Amino acid sequence: MDKREEGSVEEPLDLIRLSLDERIFVKMRQDRELRGKLHAYDQHLNMILSDVEETIKVVEKDEETDEEIIRNIKRNIKMLFVRGDGVILISPPLRTS
Amino acid sequence: MSSGLGDEVDKKLIVVLRDGRKFIGIMRTFDQFANIVLQDTIERIYVGDCYSDKNLGLFFIRGDNVVILGEIDPDKEVQEKKLKKVSWEEITKAAALEKIKKEEEEQLKRRVMTESGLTIDSILNIDDF
Amino acid sequence: MLFFSFYKSLVGKEITVELKNDLSITGLLQSVDQFLNIKLKDIKVNEEDKYPYMISVKNCFIRGSVVRYVHLPAEDVDVETLQDHSRLEAREQKKQNKQHQEQKSSTATTATTSTTV
Repeated sequence: MDKREEGSVEEPLDLIRLSLDERIFVKMRQDRELRGKLHAYDQHLNMILSDVEETIKVVEKDEETDEEIIRNIKRNIKMLFVRGDGVILISPPLRTS
Repeated sequence: MSSGLGDEVDKKLIVVLRDGRKFIGIMRTFDQFANIVLQDTIERIYVGDCYSDKNLGLFFIRGDNVVILGEIDPDKEVQEKKLKKVSWEEITKAAALEKIKKEEEEQLKRRVMTESGLTIDSILNIDDF
Repeated sequence: MLFFSFYKSLVGKEITVELKNDLSITGLLQSVDQFLNIKLKDIKVNEEDKYPYMISVKNCFIRGSVVRYVHLPAEDVDVETLQDHSRLEAREQKKQNKQHQEQKSSTATTATTSTTV
């Protein structure tokens, strides 16, 4: 196998392949976001992530001001399968910072 | 196919559809798309601790619409008796009220999220499923 | 195929399937098919009182397309193998796509030559 071919991005899914064993950010439908380490994916963008932090955005009424506020609910999941049809975007890890 | 529904044939099932409706009946046949034929079907509506049934008869259900097929366990069915059975009119009225409340909450959320620019679900205009 | 094989290796293990309508079901994985439809047995529903229709259900079939997440038993997941399989499958997929495109372009040229004849 050509080493250059292995490391280059010719088509969108190559970017996902290069993110294997790295932490990625996933934006999902229904105002959900995931951060976790990528271990598996397929062409439908089904994925397996580990040490996942999920953030769900919910709208709540502030009891005092009666204003609607957006609250983030977070939870941690050790090992998670994500079905690809709920995925909106995937971002590879930031190499800086 | 290893996940066929062969074991469930001639058993009493509850079928939950994508729009939230529930049908209970005896499954007589199925195929690889999870299309099924239900005999002696009833539709059951639940609101809070209450429920009501309506007899509907023989049904073909297209697999696309299915969320879950649950095998009804006779031992566990007893527990369900704790729910209160009410008239069909009563339950449909309660269900309509519940639906309006849910839609209002959903609209509020979409409005607040869209105004804040935090969501694109409303632009994509997609179903929950 | 990767995830189908993966789920087959988890048969008999306890998993939690979270659906797109927020219903979350824990049970033993009984079987799976190529659409990733899942059969669970001895199920328990989280927040059971919110889903009264599941009270009398012990075993169920979940259509793959309505699944949002599946919570997996971390100790039964070999991440090294998964990563290797993902790379392998990506390579296979690329090869197939290329072959498919070559086939398409070759049939297209034969089609145009036959019309000109």
